[in-house]
Amino acid sequence: MKTGVAKLGLFAAIAFLVAGPVLAGETTGLTDNSIKIGVMGPFSGNASSYSKAEIGLMAYFKMVNDEGGVAGRKLVAVPADTACDPAKGIAAAKKLIYQDKVFMLQGNSCSGVAVAIKREVVKAGLPWIVAHAVSDTISTPTVKNIFHGVPTGNTNGEAMAAFVLSKPGTKRVAIVEHPNDWAHSYTNPARAYLKAHGVDPVLDLTMERGATDATAQVLKLRQAKPDFIIAALYEAETAIFLRDMKKYGLNTPVMGTAGTDLQDTLKRVGDLDTVKNYHVLHPYVDNLDGPRMKKWSKMIHKYYPKQDLTNFSYISIGSGIALVKALKAVGPDLTRSKLIAALDNIRGLHTGVLSAPITWTPKDHRGVKGSAVAGFVDGKPTILKAWGTPYE
Amino acid sequence: MVTSAPTLSRRSRILWLVPLLALAIPAATNAYTQFIVNAMLIYTLATLGFTLVIGSLGQLAFANTAFFGIGAYSATIIGTAFGLPWLLTVPVAGLFGALGGFLASAAALRGIRLYYLAIVTLAFGELMRWLYIHAGVVTGGTDGLPVPLEQDFGLSLTSDNVQFYIFLVITCLLFAGTINLLRSRIGRAIIAVRENELATASLGIPTSRVIIMAFVWSGFVVGIAGSMFALHVGHVFPESFGLTQLIIGFAMVLVGGLGSVAGAALGAIALTALPELLRAFPGMEDIFFGVVVMAVLLALPKGLAGLLGRFSPAFQQRYHRN
Amino acid sequence: MFLQLTLSGVSQGALYALVALSLTVIYRSTSIVNFGHGDFVMAGAFLAYVLVIGLGVAYLPASIIAIVAMFLLGVAFSRGLIRPIRGGPHIGLALMSIAFGFTLRGIAATVWGRDVLPMPRVFNIDPIIIGPVLITGNALFTIGIVAVLLAAFFTLLHLTDIGKMVQAVHQSERGARLIGINVGRFHDFSWGVGAALGAVGGILIAPVSLLHPDLGAGFLIKGFAAMTLGGFGSLGGAVVAGLLLGVVEQYAGAYIDTAMIDITPYLLIIIVLAVRPLGLFGRKVVVKV
Repeated sequence: MKTGVAKLGLFAAIAFLVAGPVLAGETTGLTDNSIKIGVMGPFSGNASSYSKAEIGLMAYFKMVNDEGGVAGRKLVAVPADTACDPAKGIAAAKKLIYQDKVFMLQGNSCSGVAVAIKREVVKAGLPWIVAHAVSDTISTPTVKNIFHGVPTGNTNGEAMAAFVLSKPGTKRVAIVEHPNDWAHSYTNPARAYLKAHGVDPVLDLTMERGATDATAQVLKLRQAKPDFIIAALYEAETAIFLRDMKKYGLNTPVMGTAGTDLQDTLKRVGDLDTVKNYHVLHPYVDNLDGPRMKKWSKMIHKYYPKQDLTNFSYISIGSGIALVKALKAVGPDLTRSKLIAALDNIRGLHTGVLSAPITWTPKDHRGVKGSAVAGFVDGKPTILKAWGTPYE
Repeated sequence: MVTSAPTLSRRSRILWLVPLLALAIPAATNAYTQFIVNAMLIYTLATLGFTLVIGSLGQLAFANTAFFGIGAYSATIIGTAFGLPWLLTVPVAGLFGALGGFLASAAALRGIRLYYLAIVTLAFGELMRWLYIHAGVVTGGTDGLPVPLEQDFGLSLTSDNVQFYIFLVITCLLFAGTINLLRSRIGRAIIAVRENELATASLGIPTSRVIIMAFVWSGFVVGIAGSMFALHVGHVFPESFGLTQLIIGFAMVLVGGLGSVAGAALGAIALTALPELLRAFPGMEDIFFGVVVMAVLLALPKGLAGLLGRFSPAFQQRYHRN
Repeated sequence: MFLQLTLSGVSQGALYALVALSLTVIYRSTSIVNFGHGDFVMAGAFLAYVLVIGLGVAYLPASIIAIVAMFLLGVAFSRGLIRPIRGGPHIGLALMSIAFGFTLRGIAATVWGRDVLPMPRVFNIDPIIIGPVLITGNALFTIGIVAVLLAAFFTLLHLTDIGKMVQAVHQSERGARLIGINVGRFHDFSWGVGAALGAVGGILIAPVSLLHPDLGAGFLIKGFAAMTLGGFGSLGGAVVAGLLLGVVEQYAGAYIDTAMIDITPYLLIIIVLAVRPLGLFGRKVVVKV
């Protein structure tokens, strides 16, 4: 370099180039009175019923805004459709990050999409709270800016297996599942948990999406005589499976996932006798029409009056509550790094919607480590901690 | 009769201009729009391969998505197994795609025609997808496989701009190759087989060999497009290669113009842009898509390329089906 | 277990037979394969749903109204969307049928969302048990209706003037035109019949399964597999193959692996191609140059 000034100028330029983007990134998506939050979800396509989770989250944001926002800022949700397709999901993520320039991301119902966009989010460094998708690989190994605000597949699978084993005398367990990553995210950890407790599944069956008949599966199960059946099936296929179980006189208890709901399943099969043995993961503090959930139902209907509420509608609210708590902890002088630090400080937060509390530490971003189970007791859906033990 | 022009015709000049102008695109885009432009390149190539078989050759072979998937998976599996940089997996994908094309041509050669061929090739595609799901050890099953995106020869492959230039070069090369093929004797034989296979055979042209060549080249091109897709998304999933993608691919061919090389680009660009433009109307895509395709079929039988051809002689397609 | 699987397979197969038959009717008459046929089946089911659940109509009259409505839809589709492009490449016709099916699906999804909808069962009689075999009311109903329908259909085809007309048009369109048959209107009629028959499949499946807009895709593939196995263009072949497919699926699922159920139609198509491309009842087509 010719002169000292030039050297200084060069040094400043380099410093700016390095620090500039970092500094610019820290407050992207913020104005004095708003925080832009990118909400990705499958608003279209054949998984669009999952996007009820994102609707619930956005209703919560609107409620927070009506109560004054956070430190003078309103939460502005920018929805983007992924259609549950990885390529479209990456396009949605890039649009939110680079075109809409949001402050952070929250949402995502489809694990395939979440796994596909993970690279983008890591590169961009903005905070991302996964509010519905369950795949463990999203948040494990721990990444600085990615937080999991729902029970992951591991937690769910283990909760299912634990419930199954909590029934006295359970030795023979059979598994029925869809051959897709959603089902495997439940059954693989369930299998591992069972094996760790000395139980090997006696039968492993698949049932295709869109199947209208489960005769082959049920007849094989009848031969195998299991004490408990774990079923990782979507709503329609669950109803068909239960119906065929009743048809062929199979009375084994069935453990379902968090993708189905007792009330809805009862509605679909039409009579209690068919579902009386059915149990589902129920990650909430109460039945969906119970007193503790009423305020959330009211909230969603206030801002989305035509919304048909299902068990998906409430799953993302918990992580929304955690976000707001962290934002409030930071206060008006908000940056991305500060938010991440505040999220890392959430400990044992009882959200009033999820059955287990949220805890995030710098080393562990899987925030929710448990799930309750719901089953029919005396004809009424009841939240259970273990077989025969109510949740309280 | 088709005469080949020895001097640079107006049409050739336009064909060279487009990629040159395209070099400037990354200056005008952000990461999101560049991502979409890259997708357009990938689908342009895939559509080119598809239109060669269903347009130029006139065989209703619906195996395009199968070739696409074979390309994506073979590139990723072999790249991961042997630690190959992505660029080296591209010809591997082409090779496997070509093999797939060869297999598909076997059906056409047995005298299977029209809808029957369509259904058989469709079944082939779905069988491949079932394999991706159930051959978990090799294909990662339903979780799919991540595509290793390490640096290739000093280039950072995660950059959308870098991907764009690589894709542009590959696409232009394969377009040039396809145009040459169509202009050659083999190309004319392909069209002749489409018009009347028996008559062509009676002229002494080995129709079987022509059919195989068309399928193999198509598989090669689409297989390479598949490897590009794998890089673009960064992860291969079985669901990316199903019936929905087949239908979209086929719509791209028709909207662009059956058998038209320029049409392949036009159709791919139009139908890649459309879903992004429709982001404002979530849930209405199926209806929009169906209506747009039906409208194009009714009003523009020669597709967008035909429309352009009406306005500019430079776009007149010589190999168009009536 | 074998007998139970067979019964279940026949019950499922009856539906496949219906779908394959309706596809073949359209194909035989117009040389077009309706790639959107699965969505016609779905539309029939949804129409029945709207009438039964939404308007409180009883199942039987609702079915008849739905069938007639689908007939009219098929005719309208043929008239409005197929006729204008009849002269064009086959691929265009295929895409038109797909696009129309997509649109139907989109409409269903927009109106009812993507959630799964239940429909009340038609019969609430207890299943009959004969030895090791359990026969549900629905199975009886499905098999019964399909059997009656098929009997009526084939009688019409072979013993009436309309039937003779169908065969005439298929053998030679030009010839049929020459003797005064209005081929255009005949094609419309065939589309209507095909759509209506497909809708019957949808109406029969609705109380047994659950409704959602993507219901049709599975049926389309089974229909294709049955057409292929039976021999493209053979009406009787489509029916026999449909029943066979239903049964083979059940056996493969129970005796080999439940993962096979989904892949059976595709495997069947490829096996038929490799071993006997004409299928069970297909005849070699002579093409004049």
